[in-house]
Amino acid sequence: MFLRLVSDSFTRRPRRKLLTGAALALGMAVATAALSVSLDVGDKLAREFRALGANLVVTPQADSLPLEIGGVDYRAANAAAYLPESDLPGIKTVFWRNNILAFAPVLETSAQAWSPASKTWSSPGVVTQVSVIGTWVRHEVALADGGKFVTGIAKTNPWWQIQGRWFSENANECVVGANFARRSGVKPGDLVYLNGHEKSKQAAAPRVTGILSTGGPEDGAIIVPLSLAQALAGKAGEYHKLYVSALTKPEDDFARRDPKTMNADEFERWSCSPYVSSIAYSIQRVLPGSEVRVIRRVAEGEGAILARVRILLWLVTVAALLAAALAVGASSAASVLERRTEIGVMKALGAGSAKVGLLLAAEQLLLAFVGGGAGYSLGLILARMLGERVFGAAPEPSFLVLVAVLVLSACVTLLGSALPLRRAAHYEPAPILRGE
Amino acid sequence: MSALPDRRPGNHNRAMFWRIVRRLLFAHRARLFLILLALGAGAAVTGALLNLQADAKRRLTSEFRRFGPNVLVLPVAGADENSATLPESIVRSIPLENANSKVEAASSLYTVVRISSAQSKSPVTAVLVGETPFAFVRALHGSGAGAPPNDVSPSSRAGHECVAGERLLRKLQAQEEAELRLSAGEYSQSCWVAGVQQRGGPEDDRIAMGLRAAQNLAGLPGLISAVELTVPGTPKQIEQYAANLQRILPEAEVRPLRQFTEAQGEIYSRIAGLLDFTVALVLILTSLCVMAAMANVAAERRNDVGLMKAIGGAKRRVLRLFLAEATLLGAAGGVIGAAAGIALSMYLGKAVFGLAARPRLIVYPVSVALTMMVAILSAFPLRRLANVRPASVFRGES
Repeated sequence: MFLRLVSDSFTRRPRRKLLTGAALALGMAVATAALSVSLDVGDKLAREFRALGANLVVTPQADSLPLEIGGVDYRAANAAAYLPESDLPGIKTVFWRNNILAFAPVLETSAQAWSPASKTWSSPGVVTQVSVIGTWVRHEVALADGGKFVTGIAKTNPWWQIQGRWFSENANECVVGANFARRSGVKPGDLVYLNGHEKSKQAAAPRVTGILSTGGPEDGAIIVPLSLAQALAGKAGEYHKLYVSALTKPEDDFARRDPKTMNADEFERWSCSPYVSSIAYSIQRVLPGSEVRVIRRVAEGEGAILARVRILLWLVTVAALLAAALAVGASSAASVLERRTEIGVMKALGAGSAKVGLLLAAEQLLLAFVGGGAGYSLGLILARMLGERVFGAAPEPSFLVLVAVLVLSACVTLLGSALPLRRAAHYEPAPILRGE
Repeated sequence: MSALPDRRPGNHNRAMFWRIVRRLLFAHRARLFLILLALGAGAAVTGALLNLQADAKRRLTSEFRRFGPNVLVLPVAGADENSATLPESIVRSIPLENANSKVEAASSLYTVVRISSAQSKSPVTAVLVGETPFAFVRALHGSGAGAPPNDVSPSSRAGHECVAGERLLRKLQAQEEAELRLSAGEYSQSCWVAGVQQRGGPEDDRIAMGLRAAQNLAGLPGLISAVELTVPGTPKQIEQYAANLQRILPEAEVRPLRQFTEAQGEIYSRIAGLLDFTVALVLILTSLCVMAAMANVAAERRNDVGLMKAIGGAKRRVLRLFLAEATLLGAAGGVIGAAAGIALSMYLGKAVFGLAARPRLIVYPVSVALTMMVAILSAFPLRRLANVRPASVFRGES
C-alpha cells in the first residue's frame, strides 16, 4: 500500500511532478557545473595565464654584464658567453617536465642589412646596421624517450603579432620587425641581404615572410631561424639566452627560502612543489654553465592574479550552490504545502503523523534522486559548455561531484519539506475536509 | 502602479482590482514566503555577480598595475643611438589622467659607466639608470627578494644612495652598504649601495641612482632617455591613450607594452563570461522553481476564475490581475534580494580583491528588472486559467 501510494502520486499528476523535478534537476545541474568547473579548471586557468609569456630566463653563468639600452647591446662584439644548443632537450627530462610548456633559445647578433626594396632610381639603397635575432618558431625537439616536443618563440612570447606568416625553420626565410619594415620599405616576399660579423664572413639573403610587431625592441630587428643567426655570428650550435614558460604554483614564504638553508625534508617538499624557483633550480642542474633566473615581474604578478581569480571562481560556485539550494528547497516545500487535503484524508483514515511524514519524505527522496541524477548529466553538459567557452578546456566528469550532488539534492529537498511536514503533523482532519 | 490601464473609469473598480490582488497574494502566506524566497535568492545572486563583474574590471585594472609600466616614451630610433635623449620637460606635456585615474610617470636616463669597488680588482662596465625620486624610492623599498627596506637615513652617509642589481653586485664582489665609485668620461661620483634588486629582468645587471646625480655624471643635464608610464584602464583605453600621446609628442616614439595589457583583456573576458553564464543559469533556475509553485496555484484557482468569469470578468481583466500579482512578487523579491546581493558582493569583493567592491547603482535596477521579468515569465502556468469555462467549473468537472 505504501509503495502504491508513492507510485500513484507520481503517475496521477505527472505534469506537476515533472515541473518540480525539472526545477530540482536544473538546480542540481547548476551545482554540478559549478563544482566540476571549479574543481577541475583551476590548473587549466594557470595555463591560460601563460599568455603573459616566459617566466624564466636562462643565461650563461660566464656572461659579462649586458650593456643593453633600448634593446641595443653596447658590449664589445665578443664579450658575451654562449651555451650549447645540444643540451636543450635535457629540459624535458627534469622532474617538472610536464609543467614546462614551451622554451625558445635566442641568439642575438648584428648584421649589415640591405634590401632591394630600399633602392630608388637615384641611390643603390641604404645599408643599415641592424640587430638580428635567431630563434625557434615551430621547432621539433627530439626527446630522450623518443617523443617529439614542438616549441618556439610564438609560445613563450604569445603577444608577438605577425602579419603574414612565420618563417619555416629549414627554409631561407626571415621575419622583419615593424619599425625596420617601415624604415626600409621591405614587404613580405622581398629579399633582405645580410652581411654577418667581420670574423664569420657569412652572408645570407633570406626572403621576408611576415612583419612582426611586439611593442618591444624586436620591432627594429630582423628575426631569423636560429641556425641562420648562428652562421651569421660564427657561433655554430650555440645560443645566448633561453626563455622558458613553465606552469607554476604561486609562491608563498616557504617557496622564497634559499634551498641551501633547508634540511632534507624541507628540500624534498620544496622540490616536489612546482614553485617557479624549484623549477628554475631543476633546469639549472640539467643545463651546465647556465644561470636560471625567475622573471619576477611576470611570476609574481601572475601568482597574485591567479590566486584572486581562483577565489572568485570558488565564490561564484558557493553563490550558485546557495541559490540552487534555496530555490530547490523552496519549491519542494511548496509541493508539500499543496497536499493539505490529501494529508487530511490520510489522517481521517487513521494514519499517524509519522506515517504521513514517512510517505511524503519517501516521495521527495525519490524525486531528489531522479532529479539529482538527471541534473548531474545535464550539469556535465553545462560544465563542458562553460569550460570550453570560458576556459578553453572541458572538465573531466568526476564521481565525487556525483556523490556531492546527490547528497545535496537529498538534503535540500528533505530540509525544504521538513518545515511544512512539521506543520502538517498538527493538522486537524475535520476542518480540512470541510474545506476551511 | 497606477499606470496599469483601466478601461472603466472610477476609483471603485480600481480599488476592487487591488483588493483582489492583495487577497491573491496573502491568501496563502507560507507559499508567498516560499515564492519570495526563490525570487529573492535569484535576485541576490544576480545582483552580487553583476556587481562583482562591474567591479572586477576595475580591480583587474589595478591588479595589472603590479606588472609595472605599460607605455614607454622613447627618443625616435634611427638617429645616432648612443646619444638619443629627450628633454626632461617632455613629461609636462604628458596628460596625467586616463580612465578617471592617475597616470604614473617616471623619467629615466640610461648611460654606460665604469664601476669600481674596494673589493674588485678591475672596474666593471655597467648601465647606470638615473630615476626620478619617486621611481627610485619604489626600487629601493620595492617588493621582491633581496630588497629589504633600509632604515639608514640617507643624510648619515656621504655621497648618493644607489640600488644595485644582484648580478652586478656579484660581479663587483661587493655587499650591501658597500661604497662604489662610478665614472663616466671625465666625471666621477661615489655612491653607497642602499639596496639590492633581484627581479629577473635587465634591472639585475644595472645600477640605479637619482636622476640628478646620473645626469651630472653623464654630463647630460636636463636630458632623459625614456619616460615609463603606468597607465590605468582597460587594454583599449591604454591603446587609445598611447595613440593620443603619440599625436601630442611627434618628436618621440610612444610604445605601448603589449605583453601585459593583452593578457589583461583576455583574463577579464574569461571572468566576465563565467559570471554572465552563472547569472543566466541562476535566473533560469529561479524561474523554473517559481513556475513549479505557480502550476499549483493555477490548479487551486480554477474555481475563483470560474466565478470571476461567471459574474462578467473579461478574460483580459482576469489575466491582468495575475500579471499584476506576478509583477508585484517579482518587484518585492527583486528589491529585497538585489539589495542583499549587492551587500553580499561588497563582502565578496573584500574576500577576492582585498577591498570591498564599490556598489554600482546601475546594477540594482538591472537585477530588479531581471527578477521581475523572471517572475512574469514564470507566471506562465496561470495563463491556462484564462481558458477556464465557468460552466464546467461549477459542474465540478476538472
